[in-house]
Amino acid sequence: MNRVAMEGKVLNENERAAAELRADFARHGVFVVNLIGSPGSGKTALLERTLESYDSSRRVAVLTGDIQTDADAARLGRYGFPVRQITTAGACHLDARMVRRALEGWDLAGIDVLFIENVGNLVCPTSYDLGEAHKIVLLSVTEGEEKPLKYPGIFFKADLMALTKIDLLPYVPFQLEVAEANARSVHPDIEIIRVSSTLKTGLDGWLEWIDHRAAAIPAR
Amino acid sequence: MHEVAVAGGILDAVRTETAARRPARPVKVGVRIGEMAGIDPESLAFCFEVLVKGSDLEPLELAIERGAADELEFVYLELEQP
Repeated sequence: MNRVAMEGKVLNENERAAAELRADFARHGVFVVNLIGSPGSGKTALLERTLESYDSSRRVAVLTGDIQTDADAARLGRYGFPVRQITTAGACHLDARMVRRALEGWDLAGIDVLFIENVGNLVCPTSYDLGEAHKIVLLSVTEGEEKPLKYPGIFFKADLMALTKIDLLPYVPFQLEVAEANARSVHPDIEIIRVSSTLKTGLDGWLEWIDHRAAAIPAR
Repeated sequence: MHEVAVAGGILDAVRTETAARRPARPVKVGVRIGEMAGIDPESLAFCFEVLVKGSDLEPLELAIERGAADELEFVYLELEQP
């Protein structure tokens, strides 16, 4: 019996595809974020409010992933920006190759900000790099403040946590401070915003977070 | 849930790695998984077993070591000379 060293990441194929995407995004000056959260955490709603706030000159686009249906693309397509649905037909996450296929025919040079809405899931999307600049995790106040401890991977990898549906706080036993402390115990540097897509509170902070980072990307 | 895809990726990598070393047969593959990798080791072990069974790689074993942070890496491959 002999043992040989084996190098490389287990998800090597995805890593390779993601590195290619990242290089393409950099070449064309596209700022890309990957939104991850449970089903019903408010990913689509937050993107609706985001697109709604942009005037038509903004060069933004959205890829939205689901296991079935193009319902989200229909919701997001109303705002006049390019939106494509990725239907994974069973897969619980998006991978870099699906993103690559979905981008076919789009001129990246015409896009400044690309939002990728992942399949609703706090676990699987964590492992798959999509070439994004940042992962963003959404946690709604109806889910419970212990989620960062139960599903630490995504809170560790995300640069921003958006606490969503804060308009529901009077009706649920969710404590914002506890959720925030839990997230910081997993990832001390995680940035946190509080939003309600229904009442449109906290959206300024969210939009600024995106704009500020997108502006740091050299335009091409 | 995505552990099936991860297990499949491990098998593919083992096949690639072994191809260059024939006629040696792979008997065990070692991977390192951090707690933040978003992979459940038990679920991965189960998926791996299911995929190996009846395949050209049977009876390949999987050894999982605890890694740091979000590590999800190969460590070694054990081969047997016929």
